[in-house]
Amino acid sequence: MAFKLTMPQLGLTMKVGTIVEWYKKDGDPIKSGDAVFAVETDKAVQDYESPSSGTLKLAPDVVGKPLPLGIPVEGMIGYLLEPGEAAPAEGQAAADAPEPVAVAAASASTASAVAAPQKVYKSSPLARKVAQLAGIDLATVVPEDGEKIHRKDVEAAVAARDAAKATVPAAPRPVAPAPAPSAPAVTAPLAGKAVPMSQVRRVIAQRMAEASQTTAAVTVTTEADATVLVEFREQAKASLQAAGLPVPSYTDMIVKLTALALQEHPGVNAALAGDEIIEMQDIHVAVAVDTDYGLLVPVIRDVPHKTLQQIAVEAKTLAEKARERKVGPDELQGGTFTVTNLGNYGVDAFTPIINLPQCAILGVGRIVGKPAEYKGEIALRKMLTLSLTFDHRVVDGGPAARFLNRIRQYVEDPYLWLTR
Amino acid sequence: MRQLMVRDAIKEAIKSEMRRDPRVFLLGEDIIDPWGGSWKTMEGCYTEFGPERVRETPISEEAIVGAAVGAALCGMRPVAEIMFSDFTTRAMDQIVNQAAKFRYMTGGQASVPLVIRTAHGAGRAAAAQHSQSPEAWFVHTPGLKVVAPATPYDAKGLLLASIRDQDPVIFLEHKMNFTTEGPVPEEDYVVPLGKADVKRQGKDLTIVAHSRQVLRALEAAEQVAKEDGIEAEVVDPRTLFPLDVRTIVDSVKKTNRVVLVTEEVQRGSFAEHVASKIMEKCFYDLDGPIIFVAAKNTPIPFAPVMENFVIPDVPDIVAGIRQAMKA
Repeated sequence: MAFKLTMPQLGLTMKVGTIVEWYKKDGDPIKSGDAVFAVETDKAVQDYESPSSGTLKLAPDVVGKPLPLGIPVEGMIGYLLEPGEAAPAEGQAAADAPEPVAVAAASASTASAVAAPQKVYKSSPLARKVAQLAGIDLATVVPEDGEKIHRKDVEAAVAARDAAKATVPAAPRPVAPAPAPSAPAVTAPLAGKAVPMSQVRRVIAQRMAEASQTTAAVTVTTEADATVLVEFREQAKASLQAAGLPVPSYTDMIVKLTALALQEHPGVNAALAGDEIIEMQDIHVAVAVDTDYGLLVPVIRDVPHKTLQQIAVEAKTLAEKARERKVGPDELQGGTFTVTNLGNYGVDAFTPIINLPQCAILGVGRIVGKPAEYKGEIALRKMLTLSLTFDHRVVDGGPAARFLNRIRQYVEDPYLWLTR
Repeated sequence: MRQLMVRDAIKEAIKSEMRRDPRVFLLGEDIIDPWGGSWKTMEGCYTEFGPERVRETPISEEAIVGAAVGAALCGMRPVAEIMFSDFTTRAMDQIVNQAAKFRYMTGGQASVPLVIRTAHGAGRAAAAQHSQSPEAWFVHTPGLKVVAPATPYDAKGLLLASIRDQDPVIFLEHKMNFTTEGPVPEEDYVVPLGKADVKRQGKDLTIVAHSRQVLRALEAAEQVAKEDGIEAEVVDPRTLFPLDVRTIVDSVKKTNRVVLVTEEVQRGSFAEHVASKIMEKCFYDLDGPIIFVAAKNTPIPFAPVMENFVIPDVPDIVAGIRQAMKA
């Protein structure tokens, strides 16, 4: 009996997936557990491991276009056939398909396969209007008829989005429908080179816009004297390197001390869900990683219970996996607070966007020598600017300021937390 | 309510208006008794009103319209008949260059309260020169009003409104519709010019049709309701100009899909004008392309089989509806 290969669900909110790389080609024998292809989902590229064995029979033209989940025909990727078996009748097109499509994609590098334009469906004017009002990105909508997006397809996408939100316990409810952008829906074509949005870019765009439109974001900043922290790290670095151990970065240290501050300020480690504020029992810190294909935010779990050494190793591994697009959806989900460090780029203060459903994000600036008051005199000190953006729907200015002040104390006097 | 045929509703409107208003008179070919007009719409008028008010004319459409325009300028309310709308070409200068222009070129000092009744449409094996649908010629001309009733009720009410109007009105009567029956009140009433009528309510799709095709659209709507569960709304503009755009747009905003049915050849047709208005006013309410069900691109053939092939029939409209629901 032929086993149908359809687009697998690789994440809770995944609606469509795009095959970006083939590891096997038409006619290859497949064993259960073999990696068959790589799928680009919301934020990651993941290998699909075959749940069954057989000879691979590919459907035509499935590379580089978004496919809906698990739907035979439209979402059909191919078959695994038993010896002597032919593809079923509905897969006749697959049997007749020319092979080069799949082979070409299999030989292409991941990067170039990702750059291949995804299928753009035409959409009715009404579908566009409804999508705009509902805040649905039409590029994520796969039409039922496989050809054109109509109102019903957009409405189905809205229903799917709402259903997905309802199943995530800590997901925030938008208080009002996203306001339509003031720009007209149809404008004159813009001059310039069109770069198709990748799936990652689309998700970033959607999530940033959603956070920007639904949160009541306020940013507070402070300057911390990091001289002792710098001295500590320089000393630790020498000893650790001599012993062949990983050296925690400033980000790692700030992740750790922030998590400890969150333990003392549970109101900031919280999410808005409907008309309830959930103070999260665990502290999982998401760390922004800048990659060639966009911003990814892998999560370091249970930070208060991990040593600086553990955090350093884990953060390094996650960042590398993110840059190689190997980070899994479970490693990108569940963060309760986010740290983003732009200090390497010479930035001081900034206003990061909240990573929903979290309610706050810490922006870390550069450490720079500045004249500052020290023990009643002006001295050259290593100063660090910290920017805390918080959702005023969840946290008020006072508690947010007290939380930021605690972080400042931890930066200025690292032995307060290093000795814990 | 009593049932009348379209031709009797027209006759009733003419007679009652001639009794009410002494300025109203008739002119045309074969209109005196016993003929009473080729379509029997003026039977008995000559007997009742005499040769002074029922003017039999020579076979010259230009003379009919020219005389009528002159009489209208002098304060009369002529109701002229051009037997077949195809023959209005013979009177086009009088219609387009004279009747349509006077009010404007005199700065409103003169007006031409003239009605030209004429039979249009195909279906009678009357061949290419007696079967055309020239709606667009007149709709295109500023200064003219264009009316095309589908039912006996609308025929009487619209004709009374047309005769009482201060401007020249082209009153199109479908030659296959004269014996169509329907309820008609005995009393005097007008159907105002520029007011469309929703002939059937529906939520899934809007059909805009005029004249005879309204009746076919209604049949098609019943069929798809039964067979497909599609509820089509049928909008009859009744007046082609001035067009009741609002009623059409309101319907499209409700249903989001459109089928335009016309016996005209599609290109440059009145139906295409309706399409352009929909695009202008409610493009973002369309969930699919506008579907046309129009006559095929040819002069109307003489052979009945070919004629029926060329003009839209109920199965064509049903197919158009199904296409629109999928497109």
